[in-house]
Amino acid sequence: MKKLTYFPGCSAHGTSEEFDSTLKLVLKTLDVVLEDIPDWNCCGATSAHVMTENLAYALPMRNLVLAEKLENTTMGIACASCYQRMKVTKVHMDENPELAKRINTTVVEEGTYQGKVDVKSMLQYFYEDIGVETIREKVTKSLAGLKVACYYGCLLTRPKNITNFDSPEYPVSMDQICEALGATATEFDYKTECCGASFSISNTEVVLNLSGQILAMAKESGAHAIVVACPLCQSNLDMRQPDIEKQQGIKYDIPVFYITQLMALAFGNPIDQLKFPKHIVPVEGALANIGKVSPVPEKVKKPIKAVEAESEVK
Amino acid sequence: MARVGVFVCFCGANIADYVDVPQVVEEVKRIKEVKYAVEYKYMCSDPGQGLIRDAIVQNKLTSIVVAACSPRMHEKTFRKALSDAGMNPYLLEVANIREHSSWVHQKDKKAATEKAMDLCRMAVAKSIANEQLHEISVPVTKRALVIGGGIAGIQAALDIADARIPVVLVEKSPSIGGKMAQLDETFPTLDCAQCILTPKMVDVASHPYIELIPYAEVLELQGFVGNYKVKIKKKASYVNFKTCTGCGACWQKCPVKVPNEYNMGIDKRKAIYTPFPQAVPNKPVIDAEHCTMLTKGKCGICKKVCLPGAIDYEMQDEIIEREVGAVVVATGYDMWDPTPYEEYGVGRFKDIITSLEFERMVSANGPTNGVPQRPSDGKVPKNVVFIKCVGSRDEAKGIEYCSKICCMYTTKHTILLHHKVHDSHAYVFYMDIRAAGKGYEEFVKKAQVDTGTTYLRGRVSKIYKKGDKLMVRGEDAQIGQVVEVEADLVVLATAVSAPKDNPELARLLGISYDKYGYLSEAHPKLRPVETAKAGIFLAGCTQAPKDIPETVSQASACAAKVCGLFAGDTMKKDPMVSTINNEYCSGCQNCVKVCPYGAIVTDEVPIGHGSKELRTVAKINEGVCQGCGSCVAICRSMAINLAGFTDPQIINEIVSI
Ligand SMILES: Cc1cc2nc3c(=O)[nH]c(=O)nc-3n(C[C@H](O)[C@H](O)[C@H](O)COP(=O)(O)OP(=O)(O)OC[C@H]3O[C@@H](n4cnc5c(N)ncnc54)[C@H](O)[C@@H]3O)c2cc1C
Ligand code: SF4
Ligand code: SF4
Repeated sequence: MKKLTYFPGCSAHGTSEEFDSTLKLVLKTLDVVLEDIPDWNCCGATSAHVMTENLAYALPMRNLVLAEKLENTTMGIACASCYQRMKVTKVHMDENPELAKRINTTVVEEGTYQGKVDVKSMLQYFYEDIGVETIREKVTKSLAGLKVACYYGCLLTRPKNITNFDSPEYPVSMDQICEALGATATEFDYKTECCGASFSISNTEVVLNLSGQILAMAKESGAHAIVVACPLCQSNLDMRQPDIEKQQGIKYDIPVFYITQLMALAFGNPIDQLKFPKHIVPVEGALANIGKVSPVPEKVKKPIKAVEAESEVK
Repeated sequence: MARVGVFVCFCGANIADYVDVPQVVEEVKRIKEVKYAVEYKYMCSDPGQGLIRDAIVQNKLTSIVVAACSPRMHEKTFRKALSDAGMNPYLLEVANIREHSSWVHQKDKKAATEKAMDLCRMAVAKSIANEQLHEISVPVTKRALVIGGGIAGIQAALDIADARIPVVLVEKSPSIGGKMAQLDETFPTLDCAQCILTPKMVDVASHPYIELIPYAEVLELQGFVGNYKVKIKKKASYVNFKTCTGCGACWQKCPVKVPNEYNMGIDKRKAIYTPFPQAVPNKPVIDAEHCTMLTKGKCGICKKVCLPGAIDYEMQDEIIEREVGAVVVATGYDMWDPTPYEEYGVGRFKDIITSLEFERMVSANGPTNGVPQRPSDGKVPKNVVFIKCVGSRDEAKGIEYCSKICCMYTTKHTILLHHKVHDSHAYVFYMDIRAAGKGYEEFVKKAQVDTGTTYLRGRVSKIYKKGDKLMVRGEDAQIGQVVEVEADLVVLATAVSAPKDNPELARLLGISYDKYGYLSEAHPKLRPVETAKAGIFLAGCTQAPKDIPETVSQASACAAKVCGLFAGDTMKKDPMVSTINNEYCSGCQNCVKVCPYGAIVTDEVPIGHGSKELRTVAKINEGVCQGCGSCVAICRSMAINLAGFTDPQIINEIVSI
């Protein structure tokens, strides 16, 4: 059994409840026990860091200090925004002890920040601490036939010097996990384009435009569904999809799964526990592809440029 | 008694803005040995030097102090002024009040002035103990080593050899020619690179004064200007060049295929190969990494088909030595690897190529017979997007500097594309068009009109695939909008970068290199082809990115420098060398160990007058000694004296402050 410190964040109890609950199903299969940070507080996204530096750092720091009271050396975070605030704070505090000391004067009661706990997104935790191979071993119901476009958004791998995980422009960790589940990850060039994030509320037009492009490219790539690991991405791509369709006059009908929903499905959890009814875009059409493996392999054209040495010597 | 003259320079505003020069003059006048002191705006100018000459004669001065810039800059100039006035030039001392004071203490004029006074006091005190010294003559080996056989090395070698000075040309790869041999037509006149280069390559091979050593590397350089010893490793080629006729039977029959470096990996060569048909020397080598005979002991076909029996699988690397008096380093450049541009999909999209790959495709002798093709499906591209400054001028992902040649060769590429594919259209994303050079701006303007290329000012932010096209998204700053161009082929004008092995080469030659790996010149303006080490010169891109005209000019300049160095049978050398007083030398030989130039050997001398018994003492070769003073510091018997830096001189300096 493994233990992992968990920062649930506010969306886990609201908009992304299905992320949180399927994450727990997945971790059960992977034999990981979550320990919530006792008395955790808001991470500060998205308002604190545009208001004051002190608040932007102090809110996450309080969580980091509280996490140090548990024995685990890693904190897993489901929400990409929470992850971002927590990781930025950790990196900046570790790089600059003077700054840490100053911010710590706001977080006095909880104790002194020591930098003992590493911060990872759940995607990073799956990829680095569990491993693609272990995930593959746990699959009891292969997703073969399902084609997915893995969408990472902007926060999970950026900026590179903060996240230090996967590629900032063309990440592949989620693709590899999906392939381990049996699904096919399409070549999807918009995997790190911006979805419009919290403009969803203040300037919906922006989101309709940006998320619309992502949906179009996902469809173009041949995907039946999009897979995400961020609540905001999920809500923009799923909840705004009908508006986008109306605006563009195109029917996309492309459901947006959390990676944990697909993992839980492949690990053999009953479908009624996966919270699919919470989705705006119905998932049934996409899921119907599971099991339909196309018999004709795609034609590979012979490139004129071949780089590896070959020998005709027998 | 000593009569010292002090000459304090303003250096325009360089010194005068931060050091109170008149006050320094007043201060030195108070030293009793100073019989004359004066300030002047530019001491190095002719009137400035005249001031020194006249004062020497009129005031019967016995030593001179010039308080000005670094002695590296003008010591020679001022020594000459002394000579011209009939004074021994080594009676000069330079107080460096520019680099050592005004430039580094710009925020504090008072402190800078005080420091300048101290430096002058020290120089005056030292100069009082200066002795008359005389230049040393050392014999010169009149042979030059040229490292690297690109156009820079070729031109330098030919120019030196034409002056009947023997040249040893060492080239790393199997053929000389460098990158220029990979080019099609060349800007700004569009003459074919092969036509102007290959005759020069042949001249190198047939020149009676050039020894061409291909497929070789320099391992070690010892000695000093005029008298270097160089160790060269000749890599095993497994082909006896003397018996090989170059018939080509071997590479026709060799079954092993390897990506062809000359064609940027677009097609294949064999494990036994000549890099290209016009190679010089036109003899094949076996690539030991891929030949199955050498790796697994299987095959041996080339040996069977070689009629003259030139193949020798047992051949070993060979180390040879040569004596040379000067070295020209011309190791060229590498192309920067654009992999960090992940947003362009470099490495994922086959139809994104580099400019040198494009150059090979449009070359008449290239892998696609001169017509560009999409690597993905072999189709001839219609819409081609060229992206400039990929890696250049990019602090985040690439290198800060401008690579200088890409604006021009991209223009050339739009012309070549237009020539080869008439119904094509070129788009160029650019930050600036840098076309400074004779006929360059005209070349760009004409190309824009003739080809109808669309120039879009802005960076590309993303490339993605749509069907079999590449969508290139970038900013068009002139209309202030994001634009997308549908491309069949994208060509990246990747940055020029310093050769990877330059730092190692620099270390073994004892010269310096900059943070990018380019070899450093002695002075960016006034000594652009010399290094700080006497007798070692730089030509071509190894010093900084440059095009062919500039490369050739620099190479010829190197040749002029080498010829100048070899003009006499001996070479003059500063007399600041160490000598050993045998009476004090205990023979401990510590100095032998510390001398970085290997200038000290041992000698046997009688233990006393008339005695037959011998004892060991150290002996310094004044030709090799560079006057660094290490031996002086280590000698516990105080037996070593360094001319120009004697104990009395140093002690005077210390006492003066
Ligand atoms: C795509 C492209 C197009 C261009 N088009 C033009 C053009 O149209 N007109 C123009 O004026 N310029 C053009 N240039 C620039 C031109 O290529 C250079 O100016 C020129 O090649 C520089 O010559 P070089 O001898 O300094 O370097 P190189 O050509 O790089 O030659 C260096 C040589 O040294 C050898 N070497 C390297 N290291 C060692 C070592 N340690 N020991 C021994 N040998 C070594 C190499 O093998 C090579 O043979 C172009 C460049 C590019 C990339
Ligand atoms: S077959 Fe022999 S002679 Fe002919 S090129 Fe090869 S090695 Fe030289
Ligand atoms: S022995 Fe090596 S080089 Fe010769 S033919 Fe065989 S593989 Fe080629």
